[in-house]
Amino acid sequence: MSVSTITETTTIQVYQVFIKATPEQIWDAITKPEFTEKYFYGARIENTATKHRSLGPNDEMWADGPTFEFDPPRRLVHEWRSLYDPDLAGEPASRVTWEIEQQDGGFSMLTVVHDQLEASPKTAASVSGAGWMMVLSGLKTLLETGKPLSS
Amino acid sequence: MDDDAVFKALADPSRRLLLDLLFERDGRTLTELDAELEMTRFGVMKHLRVLEEAGLVVTRRQGREKFHFLNPVPIREIHDRWIDKYTERQVSALLDLKNELEETA
Repeated sequence: MSVSTITETTTIQVYQVFIKATPEQIWDAITKPEFTEKYFYGARIENTATKHRSLGPNDEMWADGPTFEFDPPRRLVHEWRSLYDPDLAGEPASRVTWEIEQQDGGFSMLTVVHDQLEASPKTAASVSGAGWMMVLSGLKTLLETGKPLSS
Repeated sequence: MDDDAVFKALADPSRRLLLDLLFERDGRTLTELDAELEMTRFGVMKHLRVLEEAGLVVTRRQGREKFHFLNPVPIREIHDRWIDKYTERQVSALLDLKNELEETA
């Protein structure tokens, strides 16, 4: 019984975090490699209007797929394929949506939705739990203190 | 963002149950959650609102349905702020002790 509930768990994952930063700062932090390498497992990620590309520390190709929506500094939607792990790379592509909304008091709310995971259970399991959470805490820490999480 | 709201939201067994239910299976409607609790629909709605205000539950609309998702980030933040700092040394000492005892057992 518990096995079937676990596979159902993860076809859509939603994460939300309040960050004391402007939407523009968050936008830069998620679309530019010099920022992402400080909080995204060392990945140098570049998001343009057409491409989502991620390179590992030794220039390994960790992701190389299309951008579906590119609306700075509010909304970014791109393909997700976990090329960093051969086991996960074989699964179908899923989708990641970043939404940034300005709040009062100098805060912005960042929502990350990882969906279309129905046919990619291994990817879903690997990004859930600590996966996205470490990215988002790292991003928040970097923007609020200027320092990476694990220094 | 607001530690008080998170601690208050967690200080209730029904709300913790709701979080556990979403942890088991994420993205549920009010009707689905309501079926799991011995409580009025209005009561469940009230608890969900407190969880939502604390950022522990995020809702997304899809067509006519509203789905509730567990957002684990605020708990992570509480963990980083309140648990890591005080427990890191003790926990590792306890783990060492446990390993040692289990090896000799």
